[in-house]
Amino acid sequence: MDNYFLVLYNTFMKDERYMLIVNGLLFTLAVTILAALIGIILGVVLSLMTISDFRPFKNIKSERFAFLRDFNPFTKIALIYITVIRGTPTVVQLLILFNLVFIGVLEAPIFVVAVVGFGLNSAAYVAEIIRAGIQGLDKGQMEAARALGMSYGKAMQVIIIPQAIKKIMPALVSEFIVLFKETSVVGMIGGNDLTKAAREIAASSYRAAEPWLLAALIYLLLTTLFTYFMRKVEKRLKESD
Amino acid sequence: MIKINNLHKYFGELHVLKGIDLEVKQGDVTAIIGPSGSGKSTLLHCINKLEEPSQGHIYIDNEDIMAQDCDINAIRQKVGMVFQHFNLFPHKNVLENITLAPTLVKKVTKDEAEKTAYELLNKVGLSDKAFSYPSKLSGGQKQRIAIARALAMKPEVILFDEPTSALDPEMIKEVLDVMKDLAKEGMTMLIVTHEMGFAKNVANRLIFMDNGMVVEDTEPNLFFSAPKSDRAKEFLDKVLNK
Repeated sequence: MDNYFLVLYNTFMKDERYMLIVNGLLFTLAVTILAALIGIILGVVLSLMTISDFRPFKNIKSERFAFLRDFNPFTKIALIYITVIRGTPTVVQLLILFNLVFIGVLEAPIFVVAVVGFGLNSAAYVAEIIRAGIQGLDKGQMEAARALGMSYGKAMQVIIIPQAIKKIMPALVSEFIVLFKETSVVGMIGGNDLTKAAREIAASSYRAAEPWLLAALIYLLLTTLFTYFMRKVEKRLKESD
Repeated sequence: MIKINNLHKYFGELHVLKGIDLEVKQGDVTAIIGPSGSGKSTLLHCINKLEEPSQGHIYIDNEDIMAQDCDINAIRQKVGMVFQHFNLFPHKNVLENITLAPTLVKKVTKDEAEKTAYELLNKVGLSDKAFSYPSKLSGGQKQRIAIARALAMKPEVILFDEPTSALDPEMIKEVLDVMKDLAKEGMTMLIVTHEMGFAKNVANRLIFMDNGMVVEDTEPNLFFSAPKSDRAKEFLDKVLNK
């Protein structure tokens, strides 16, 4: 048994290898949180675009262009974006962003590429979650708000979105956890995250099992803590209903 | 006060309103009755443009609400609405439900809005519910709050869309009593209803609709004692002798 502790000590403590884990975890957390912020903000915008009723050509008279009457450019753009993002693998998106956009065009550190990449990716999923939440609300809520003289924007802001957020909390929590775990592919573009740290320790210590198990344990611990915390928040939100 | 000329409404191919002409004067308490699918609710929804009219004109205080430059949000402040399913905001308490629109839309101060809200709660007999959430209220209480919420905007007319249809029989009276008080105070009201007793006793005008058209526009007593059209006779026979 003493021998095994020595092995563990050598695996993680020698040459301060544990610092790889600590730094990797910080990188993972920072990317996740910042990407989630981008995802939420852009996701809200995209979802509003998909449900908007903006038809600039609805009064067109010519029968030749009659098909344009129902054309909604916002919805179109948002749907194309969501289709492309959801229809391609995250790693591929990240590699495209890294190799085509940031190298040569914009010089940026890996960290920024990762945040932007995962943020743009998450936004598509968040947009669909929010859209479902808004469309799942009783139509009467919007009618009541509008009947009281509120503008569409005010009604969205004060009546619809707060209720939708409450409803979609579980789905958003899920998406956050997926995002957190998905960042483990960031090593593909050279990001030094938790998974990459495990790989490096495995390579330099010649121990295959322990570094990976430790990484898995840390992912599991954090997602469990987060889930537990969000359940509490959900419960609090429910109380005001 | 409200003037409707040749109003048509289509839902796709479906022709729901087929040329409605109607004039509502200040203080009118108008009951709109008729079989389901006759277009009563759609007519009400067109008046504050919750449904976009397909053709025709609607004037509210001589302002054409179909005009391009019409500020519909300003019009809606004058036209209150009470819904069949109440549509209270579930994430706001009763007081917030009532004060929300006055503070946000009319820019009334919070203190003033709350003062009005308490007066209205008193009027509908629910002063003790100011801090309750809608989910804790009965159907009748919800509808009375919904009426208070509409009144808080100090509208010139209130549209009631089957206000008692979703209520338990025991709770209908408490809502009708509030509406009766409003009628006495001279509030202009348009009420789509299946409550024949209410239409007869409280309304001073009765509109019978069928198949997207106004079939009779008369006094309630006349309508119930001597309906002119065969369609109205048939309808009354069904609803009164059930």
